[in-house]
Amino acid sequence: MTEGIESKDADASVGTGKTVLGLGAMAGTLVGAVGGMIYATALHGSPLYGVLTGAVYGLAFGAFFAERCSSPGAGLIWGLAYALLLWLLVPAGLVPWLAGRHAGTMVDAARDNFPELAGYLVTLGTPLGIAMGLLAEFRPQPGRRSYVASRAIVVGGLSGLVSSVIFHTWMLKGGYFPLTAGISEAGARAGGASLHLALAAFIGVAFGLLFQQDIYGYGSSMGWGAGFGIFWWFLGPLTLHPLLTGMPTDWSADHASDLFGSLVAHILHGLIVGVMYATVDRLWVRLFVESDPIRREAEGPGLRTIYSLGWGAAAGLVGGAVSAPIMVATGVISKLAGLESELSLAHALALHLLVSAAIGMTYGLLFRQEGLSIGRGISWGWVFGLIWWYLGPLTLLPLLRTGEADWRPEAATALLPSLIGHLVFGAMTAFTFLLLQRSYARWLLLDPRHAAREKRRTRPEGTPAPALWLFLLGMGILLPILLG
Amino acid sequence: MSRFYRRACIGGLAGLVASVPLNLSVGHVMGAVALGTILGAAYTVTFRPLKNAYVDSLMVGTSTGIPCWALFTLLLFPLLAGQYPEWEGEGMRAHFPALVGWVCYGGLLGLLVQGLNDLASKAFGPEPVPVSRRDDQKRRVVILGGGFAGMQTAAALEQELRGDPSVSITLVSETNALLFTPMLAEVAGSSLEGGHISTPLRTSLHFATFIRGRVTGIDLEKRRVTLDMESSAGMEPEPAREVGFDHLVLALGAVSNYRGLTNVEKQSFNFKSLLDAIRIRNHVIEMFERADRESNEGARRALLTFVVAGGGFAGVELAGALNDFARGILADYPNLRPEEVRVILVHSHERILPELSELLGAYARRSMEGRGVEFRLGARLHDAGPGVVVLSDGEIRSQTLVWTAGVAPNPLLATLPCERDKRGAVKVEPTMAVPGTSGIWAVGDCAALNDGKTGKPCPPTAQFAIREAATLARNLKAALEGRPLKAFHFDSLGALCVVGHQTACAEFTLPFAREKSVRFSGLLAWLMWRGIYLSKLPGLERKVRVLLDWTIELFFPKDIVQTIDLG
Repeated sequence: MTEGIESKDADASVGTGKTVLGLGAMAGTLVGAVGGMIYATALHGSPLYGVLTGAVYGLAFGAFFAERCSSPGAGLIWGLAYALLLWLLVPAGLVPWLAGRHAGTMVDAARDNFPELAGYLVTLGTPLGIAMGLLAEFRPQPGRRSYVASRAIVVGGLSGLVSSVIFHTWMLKGGYFPLTAGISEAGARAGGASLHLALAAFIGVAFGLLFQQDIYGYGSSMGWGAGFGIFWWFLGPLTLHPLLTGMPTDWSADHASDLFGSLVAHILHGLIVGVMYATVDRLWVRLFVESDPIRREAEGPGLRTIYSLGWGAAAGLVGGAVSAPIMVATGVISKLAGLESELSLAHALALHLLVSAAIGMTYGLLFRQEGLSIGRGISWGWVFGLIWWYLGPLTLLPLLRTGEADWRPEAATALLPSLIGHLVFGAMTAFTFLLLQRSYARWLLLDPRHAAREKRRTRPEGTPAPALWLFLLGMGILLPILLG
Repeated sequence: MSRFYRRACIGGLAGLVASVPLNLSVGHVMGAVALGTILGAAYTVTFRPLKNAYVDSLMVGTSTGIPCWALFTLLLFPLLAGQYPEWEGEGMRAHFPALVGWVCYGGLLGLLVQGLNDLASKAFGPEPVPVSRRDDQKRRVVILGGGFAGMQTAAALEQELRGDPSVSITLVSETNALLFTPMLAEVAGSSLEGGHISTPLRTSLHFATFIRGRVTGIDLEKRRVTLDMESSAGMEPEPAREVGFDHLVLALGAVSNYRGLTNVEKQSFNFKSLLDAIRIRNHVIEMFERADRESNEGARRALLTFVVAGGGFAGVELAGALNDFARGILADYPNLRPEEVRVILVHSHERILPELSELLGAYARRSMEGRGVEFRLGARLHDAGPGVVVLSDGEIRSQTLVWTAGVAPNPLLATLPCERDKRGAVKVEPTMAVPGTSGIWAVGDCAALNDGKTGKPCPPTAQFAIREAATLARNLKAALEGRPLKAFHFDSLGALCVVGHQTACAEFTLPFAREKSVRFSGLLAWLMWRGIYLSKLPGLERKVRVLLDWTIELFFPKDIVQTIDLG
């Protein structure tokens, strides 16, 4: 996770821009054409139209994004974000607008075009991204972090299994198998559990293999996990499951609405896989990488963590105070107070601030390595707020109040108002945390040893983080609106 | 033009152009243009520009557009219009076209900002970065001494200056580590590994320069210090080095004061450094090895007699630790009898531990006597020779004498044209500035400092040195900025002393009644001693190592492996 050993070919010539562009455009066109054909077949459209549009989309992706796809995992994230952006601009934006649809009915057009979204993601974004990433394996990439496949498999598999034990023990009680989307529900319960475990381990291994180089800390690992969860929801329950059970693929918004609970489960499972992966990977790095004396670091362990917890608590308080009016107006506070029915508004506010400080501490702990730029920090803050919306009001609060998580689309729709409060909370927490962190780090970074260490441990520019932000924020906010 | 101003201009311009699709969201042309421009400027200021990162900027801009839709279209615009926020599901769906508008605005803004940044870099060069002062313009603060006072001054000054590039800090020390002296007796007594109570000075400092060297001369007029760079045996000697300063901090500490007893100085072990403690431990083991093969009982008894001169904290703690160590390793020497081992503490006054109350002093003596330590109180050390220690009231046959009976400020201070007290410490003002000089300061054991509030002399202890250093760092910063200085004031917190296995004395001053104190003794005081000093030991790693040493000691006997050659 924090291992930043640069590859041996760090000094190799970078002058491959035009080659990458040319190769990328060619490969993109080819993969896009094939993807377009599958897309057209799945949606019963014209194959020629599918091939042509797929080739154009692929050409654009190959030409502009190939250089950014440094690995299959990075490529996947860029590809998914590209597909979402295309869908937002073309089928959900430009086409209804050109067709002269009334503004009030554009959301219906977006719902009608939901199959296109699934198709763009599964048949265009995914293969294009992975193909560009695979292509990148054959070109020198100076400064790229080292990749250890055995570490990815062991850490990923272990984190997948542990997450499944944590997550699915809870799920199995109700005989609910969100990851297998009911493949084995008709069969024996034990069979379902085994399939679930096997799938969870596979997801963990895939997570490690794809994203080892892009994960810098617990926070980004959670973000990648949530993004991966959404991707798996489109690929698994919406696409592979019907194929495996001999049914026609159904990407309609109505069918997706039926599987909304599974979407939330996939996101939460992704979050748990992300955290578990980051934790096990951190342990691996500590035991097998950082224990090497030649990689010793200047600052002792623990100091920065303690500071981050303090800054996080202060930042959480600020975030909680700023978002409190929204939380009061949207009724989240009263639900929070509902845990203890005797609480007055003042007490509920105090409790809200206390919870905010605690959540802020988790921000400090999870996101401290994600960069010192205010803009980036705020972007991670939006993501953090979104994650807490899925985790807090959608899952933990109903769980604490009724003993069951409520993942129905109606419940999500009812909670949409508080989403804005959570976004504001995340952004303000991140902003305040960044200010506090920078005031400490600025002078410390004058020490070249610390500067080198921070450079190695902090997310550099050029990773797929911006694509992840778009994919997570876009999907995380759009899906409850469209499917609710 | 500052980089932020440049970024704001670029962002404002990009936002202005990108605001076209924002009309969809705002529904008011001028409002959209104004909002687009402001947001564009804010966006550009907060993101560091990258070269040719068009797809990154596209994604960042687009992803920023989504929460902006929630914040502005759903929340702020209705509120500004005096309506309830449109944050219900229906409201969000109704405003879906505005989301597309925000996404387009964000994407366009990202691309335009990137393009304009690249253009600006080509036309005007890269963003300006703040330039720090050149090295020869820096004001130089030189701190002499790497003990508690010197090290703490350097660390506190780093914190105070927060990386101010116009000031350079240099710390000069004879050793490259800060020795945690309160635990030194435990090293001599084989409870702790020597390295575990020393913290490397280099790792504790962030941008202060560290020089390991011995100060041989200080020229206050020419404002420079001469250093003797000690070389290892067999290596070519390094030439002396001169270091210039604008501000000089004297934190040279103290050395043992033998009061003219030349033979004692030759025959005894010093107890000031880590090497002294390690030597004492190895010497004790050596004495046991010799005694084991010695057939003459008198000679054997002399080998197993250990004399500690001085009944202050250092002497008492060392005597207690040596007594535990010597009696503990008897199990490994079956030829030697317990009654042959003697640990004798010689003190010129009638009671030990004068820093503590009489009650605790008496307790310490009783407790140590119960464990086998002998006391020769009211006796002065007159002389020492091979195998004999001469006291004012008789002689002791012993091969081991450790001197802890007196310290004096570093003799180098005598060469300075400054006023000194009778101990030889440099007299300083309550601000720690040396009177009659400019930019010369003294702190810790080598400074004769009176408390700024009570006027009482500050004792030469680590507790005071650390607080003095913090005040001095603030005063140094104030002096560099031309602000008034503050006088030092600190009320002692109390004192702790270990007297033997799981036994200690502790006396704490009450926070609101400084003339009163609370006293503890026995196991509770010992636990306090360990807890407090462990927390004071610098560095988490050192704390863990010491804690492990203490834990191992609970289950395993003390180590009798000799680690250095005493010859």
